[in-house]
Amino acid sequence: MTILIGLMLLFSALASILILALDQELSKRIALAGSGIVLAITIWILVTSLLQGSLSMGEQYPYISAFDISLQLQLTPISFILVLMTAIVAFGAVMAGNPERVREKAANALILLFEFSAIGLFASANLFIFFIFWDIGVIALFFMINILGSANRRYASIKFIIYEIFASSLLLLGIMMIYFYTPVHSFDIGAITSAASTIPQATQQMIFILMFIAFMVNMPLFPLHFWLPDAHTEASTQGSMLLSGVLTKFGAYGMLLIFTMFPIASSLAIPIALLAGFSTIYSAFVTMMQHDIKRVIAYTTIIDMGIILVAIAAMNSFGTYGAAYAMFAHGITIALLFLTVGCMHHIFGSRDMRVVKGVVSRAASTGYSFIMGVFGVTGVPLTAGFVADVLIFIGAIQAFGLAGALPLIGLLMIGAFMYLVINRSFMMTKEPSQPVEYIGIEQQLGYAFLMGSMLLFGIFPFLLLGFANL
Amino acid sequence: MLALLVIVPLVVAAFLAVILRSRTTLVRYVALGASVISLLIAVALLLTSSNMVQQFIWFNVGQYAVHISTTTAPINLMLLLIVAGITPLIFAYSIGYLKTPSEQGRYYFEMCIFAASMMLFSISANFISLFIAWEMLGITSYLLIGFWQYKPKAQLAARKAITTIIIGDVAMLIAMLLIWSTYHTFEFLALYSAAATPALYAAMLLIAVAAFTKSAQFPFTEWLADAMEGPTPVSAFLHSSTMVKAGVFLILILAPIYTNLHILNLFVIFGIVSALVGAMNALAEHHIKRILAYSTIEDLALMFIAIGFNALYAAVLLFIVQAFYKALLFMSAGSIMTAGDDEEDLFESFNSTKNRGLFITMVIGTLSLAGIFPMSGFFGKAAIDSVAANFSSLPNIILYVLLSVVDLLSSIYIFRWLFVPMRKAPLEKAFTLNINYRTLPKSMLIPPTILAAFVIIGSVFYVTLTNLLPLGGLPVSIGVSDTVVETILVLAGLAIAYLLYVKMRLSGFTEKHEVLRGAFNSGAEINVLYNYFAAFVMLSANVVWRFDHYIDRLLYYSGMGLVEIGNRLRRLQNGQTNLYVAAFMLGLLALILLFAL
Repeated sequence: MTILIGLMLLFSALASILILALDQELSKRIALAGSGIVLAITIWILVTSLLQGSLSMGEQYPYISAFDISLQLQLTPISFILVLMTAIVAFGAVMAGNPERVREKAANALILLFEFSAIGLFASANLFIFFIFWDIGVIALFFMINILGSANRRYASIKFIIYEIFASSLLLLGIMMIYFYTPVHSFDIGAITSAASTIPQATQQMIFILMFIAFMVNMPLFPLHFWLPDAHTEASTQGSMLLSGVLTKFGAYGMLLIFTMFPIASSLAIPIALLAGFSTIYSAFVTMMQHDIKRVIAYTTIIDMGIILVAIAAMNSFGTYGAAYAMFAHGITIALLFLTVGCMHHIFGSRDMRVVKGVVSRAASTGYSFIMGVFGVTGVPLTAGFVADVLIFIGAIQAFGLAGALPLIGLLMIGAFMYLVINRSFMMTKEPSQPVEYIGIEQQLGYAFLMGSMLLFGIFPFLLLGFANL
Repeated sequence: MLALLVIVPLVVAAFLAVILRSRTTLVRYVALGASVISLLIAVALLLTSSNMVQQFIWFNVGQYAVHISTTTAPINLMLLLIVAGITPLIFAYSIGYLKTPSEQGRYYFEMCIFAASMMLFSISANFISLFIAWEMLGITSYLLIGFWQYKPKAQLAARKAITTIIIGDVAMLIAMLLIWSTYHTFEFLALYSAAATPALYAAMLLIAVAAFTKSAQFPFTEWLADAMEGPTPVSAFLHSSTMVKAGVFLILILAPIYTNLHILNLFVIFGIVSALVGAMNALAEHHIKRILAYSTIEDLALMFIAIGFNALYAAVLLFIVQAFYKALLFMSAGSIMTAGDDEEDLFESFNSTKNRGLFITMVIGTLSLAGIFPMSGFFGKAAIDSVAANFSSLPNIILYVLLSVVDLLSSIYIFRWLFVPMRKAPLEKAFTLNINYRTLPKSMLIPPTILAAFVIIGSVFYVTLTNLLPLGGLPVSIGVSDTVVETILVLAGLAIAYLLYVKMRLSGFTEKHEVLRGAFNSGAEINVLYNYFAAFVMLSANVVWRFDHYIDRLLYYSGMGLVEIGNRLRRLQNGQTNLYVAAFMLGLLALILLFAL
């Protein structure tokens, strides 16, 4: 038995508390150390599991022994991919810092708290602690928007928390129902999975739909996505990076869980895939009417999450693993995009694509990093997005035939639109906007780190596929 | 793995170009040196290996492996040598052409990446390595078309190019994944013998779409004409001799599959439409490079027609010779533009005879494109005509007539392109113009001369191609009658162009006298088509967005409504006793009244 997962949780929580307790000046260093240690541990796990060719890790710490609930943690290949993504995104966010440099102490503490919750959630083998980590993450990000966000932050954060609490309550209800209806009366995911077929069909369907709606809010998916554009637009740069990069993956990971837990899922796969595909195309259309570049990127999250759900609903190993890879690729890429847009806003004082012109001539690193990010989102080969697209659509085509490739139309539209954005605001240097601020070396290091990870896992996909048991 | 060596120097040079971007002269020679090394490696590949498919695993997915595989089959080596041969010439030409110091690093980075991905494309033996190269071609093309970032027109052109190309990219991705899902392989070789299934039909049609977008065939023609906003070496390299031919090449190597599926005729139909569009627009156009761009569309269309007849040798012959004469013509156009201070209008360009070397190479290129006998272009075009000369059925006859029209038109427009800049300049321009022509840098004159030599030598491919390349399909054979018909058409075109543009210039020939322009300018209509499509998409987007917005507002106001109801109801418990008493009394009164009545 290892203690590595526990150590990751311990260090991130400890760093978060230390930041709160100590001075503002020390906050960034502590945050860097905390998230750096977590990243180092994930890389250690990555290297050892690549050498072994397999990955499976379990840890257990006593928690509420009266109710037979313990802190059960495990790393499967898929959850490890997400933990690695969390570590990379959080480290990138801490390293880049907020270009505005406001309330760094609160920001760093919240990032580390969120990292703690995300790692706990992806590593949890128990629905009870899954729910606890879920809520810690949501609350951390609520404060991230509410305290650190931009002008309209109150509205956006309240909207966010209302949707998320709605989701949480459904999730809690679902978890309670699982506890009462499974014969084993347990929160353990493994035990539930093996006992799920004994739950009567109607109940199973009800639980599935309850949890599906909860995760759907979080992902988000078409009818329940309204919180996302506002929350992403109003959050601080680091907040959007975590929100889109990691928080939306909570829902997607939950989807993966319920699709593997309940046998009923196979009968609902086609309607769910239809909904997800519709959500993709729908938000591609909505994206095309946006002028705020941050909002454009926020909507691409909905598109990508729709594609990921199609892959999950395909319910084959390509789809499932492709979904995990896509979550990884999307998390890093979207964090890069939000970082560049945040810096662009800081530099030019605007992020309206009709106003900002010629970013590459006045802020070259920001401009070209954004372009790289767009390459990543549109799945250009040698970025991680390409491998994800290949895996996902092989899975989708195997499950749904040619119709499985239709969400690519959404990707096509978003690609065309993103190139339009690049063209108008980044490349066209006639009468460029004048910079009013400059970004420091930290932000450029952040670009380099996120871009490097995006390319590393795109050029060497075996790093994430080497330990997979497909 | 060995074949991949060929791209290494260029990739290294690309990153060196970024690192050394402040040392502008060094960057040029680094790129040139790297391209020469690549050429040497390509030649070494030709001499040492024969038809090897090499694979290495890129990544494993469960029990399946995804390979990057390369091949040194003769046809792949042919494209590799064309690309590797033209690259140093283009880089040499760029030394004289592109002088702005601040642009050097970016230019050579993008050009080296482009050249590397084109080489990867030419040696790829499966869909994965092909798709990597395919996307990189699209992106570098986008970046290079919009290279001059201060030119808004260049940016619009780049946007149009990437929007078209991305359609092809997605079609290609769907096609390759469909093929994998059905046959569990990405290798071309394994697909040649694959059984026909509906999935294969769908995939092959999608690949045809992808090829049409890349090779600018109808209805995706317009991006190529707009792409001429980029620097001239880019046009000479990407948009005439290499990148746009990726689509043709792809169909060429997949032709056996199309033959199995019996859908080769598709290429004849789209080819003839594109050829007409290209030839007519070339005649209507005034922009010195756009004429050549439309001409490129026509050339590519002729190659597709040849493939459609399963005359692969004829297609390959034109494929090879077109690369030389089109690159040559573009370089000449760039020289004329440089001499005329970036004057792009054909009718504002003068005195092209003042530089003998330039003029002679221009004549050689023109004669080759038109198809005058000993030039290599003649063999390329006559081969395709001879394939089409099959009068067994009415469609074939119509096709032959249309092809003859295309030949005639192309002869007219290319001689127009040659004759119009020959005119004497007005006095106020002549002095600087003559100086500019005489001081054209050597680096802009030597590469076209080398290409001119290739244009003339290229004729030998007509004889040797069958021995060099083992291909399926019909052999090339140009009969006497084909030669006669082709020569008559070309001479007729020459005569018409002479009458229109040399004789009539004495009477002050200007734009408004040009009767052909309005009749042939179909590029504008195709653009209108694009605009309608874009407007349709944006309209749908608007409808969907409004829906989204209204739902969001509805939710917001219903939330606000709940808050408002709460606010109103709050008065019920505000603690003011007098109000409670008043309410109580009113209620009591109402009760009494109720019971009393």
